[in-house]
Amino acid sequence: MISSQTFHVVTTELVVGAFSVAGLCFMFCTLIHLGLLKRPSWSAIFDHVAHFTLAFGLAATPFAILSGLSSAPGEGLNSPILVNKMFLSMTGFGFALGCLLARWRLGDKVWSTTKSTALHGASGLAACGSILLTASAGGTFARGESLLDMFHLPYEHVLLFPVMVSAIALVLGLTMLVLSWKRMNASSTVH
Amino acid sequence: MDLLLSDGGIELKTNYRIQTVLVLTLLLLCSAFGAAEPGGNGDSIQNMQCGGACHGDASMNETSGSILSLSSPATIYVGVPTTLTLTATNLDTSTTRLVGLFLLTDMTGHSDTPQDAGWEILSDANGGAMNYIEQKLDPGQNETSISWVLRASTLGPTTFYAAIHHGGGYSSPFFGTTASGFEVTVQPVPENLPRLSADFTPPTLRTLDTPTEFNIETQFTDSMQFEWKSEDGLIMNAIVNSTENNSWTATIPAALQPTTVQWRVILGGEGPEQTTPWFTLAAEESSWEVTINAVYLQAFALLFLTAGIVIALQTRFSSDASTSKYDEELVGIKTGVSDKTPDDLEENDGGEQA
Repeated sequence: MISSQTFHVVTTELVVGAFSVAGLCFMFCTLIHLGLLKRPSWSAIFDHVAHFTLAFGLAATPFAILSGLSSAPGEGLNSPILVNKMFLSMTGFGFALGCLLARWRLGDKVWSTTKSTALHGASGLAACGSILLTASAGGTFARGESLLDMFHLPYEHVLLFPVMVSAIALVLGLTMLVLSWKRMNASSTVH
Repeated sequence: MDLLLSDGGIELKTNYRIQTVLVLTLLLLCSAFGAAEPGGNGDSIQNMQCGGACHGDASMNETSGSILSLSSPATIYVGVPTTLTLTATNLDTSTTRLVGLFLLTDMTGHSDTPQDAGWEILSDANGGAMNYIEQKLDPGQNETSISWVLRASTLGPTTFYAAIHHGGGYSSPFFGTTASGFEVTVQPVPENLPRLSADFTPPTLRTLDTPTEFNIETQFTDSMQFEWKSEDGLIMNAIVNSTENNSWTATIPAALQPTTVQWRVILGGEGPEQTTPWFTLAAEESSWEVTINAVYLQAFALLFLTAGIVIALQTRFSSDASTSKYDEELVGIKTGVSDKTPDDLEENDGGEQA
């Protein structure tokens, strides 16, 4: 039986690696579909790799979050860095989930217009960015330094909403998710 | 890199293959530099090889030119705290000027900590109770001296060793040890010797802005003096109150910054007067607290809100899909399994080859 610390290292490496590849591929995909990179033959490959690695990273993310909670020193979330890690990883999870659900139900249409392309690429990159920020916060927490220290990110400050605001945001998000899901299903069955 | 798609297979032009191999090779070479931990690992209980780190790997490390020597008081009694001092000279480190110093009881790389030999670490130089501690040297500083306070639980001889890990030129992991072991012999404690209680564990941490009260248990002690000093080295006395027989309290002022102080007690009784080692006490900010449920609620709200916004906007933007000129061109050259929705795949029975 391995310790939760070791398991956390394994899962975070999986998550960060997968999301990094996904972010790179989303960037290339977006540039190609916006016509900024004249390599249309790469499009399908980057599209597949981006979404596959994003799905892989997404599958590993809950294990990383749970093992991170159990391996943190002390009891519970006793550091602002840990709270920010939780927020960032869940935000990245949300971006990745939205991105994958849209690609699954809408298929190629996510790349069909400039707006749609920009949004899909941005959501994929935002997922990648959130996870990389989470990893950077983890480095700051565990080792006191990380690659992104040059940006002097405020990991020590937590933006904690009032409970009512969080509850409203949760309900709003779930409502949007359900309504959009129905709309996407209706759209996809037209095919 | 240019990809040519033909008959379902992927060919790479020779030039691009070479470029790809070169880039991958370069990335692999870079990993050796990126794997280092110049920021250290933090104080901890570690074996000589630091859990198999680069510094302990004979195929990677280089021998440190540092000279390490251990020293201790002439007499060490069982169950009575004593000091082991490590002096490191001729230090030459990396630009981070960080050195990691070990107190060990053998050189095998496993089961080699003082705890493994029946010794308890009560205090280290950084305000913890670890056998591996890290120190950042000042510019120009090429020697340092640190102390551990330990307590032996068994009689007889024990051989101590010290080791050092640090960086250096070209990011090499340096490793060094004491030239030979330093043997100490634990003797039976004399009758009526004034001493700290055998189960007394000194505090190593305190919070900022709060005076620290020490509750000290002793044996065979009639009087106690409490001395403490801050980092400037000025020794001060604290008032000692006796709460009951062999039970004492002393209070030192609050720390306003995360610094360390050292303290010791001088014990008087029927036996010869005893002075304990200097114990190190570090001050840190009080633990941070947050309402856990509010954090979890906000985390899930962020998850569903971001996912909901992405899907809602995506559905809206994709619903009025007007194929651009570029996309028409793209469709014409796409090969391989097309990106279709599950419904499309069901209709086409396995997808479509363009």
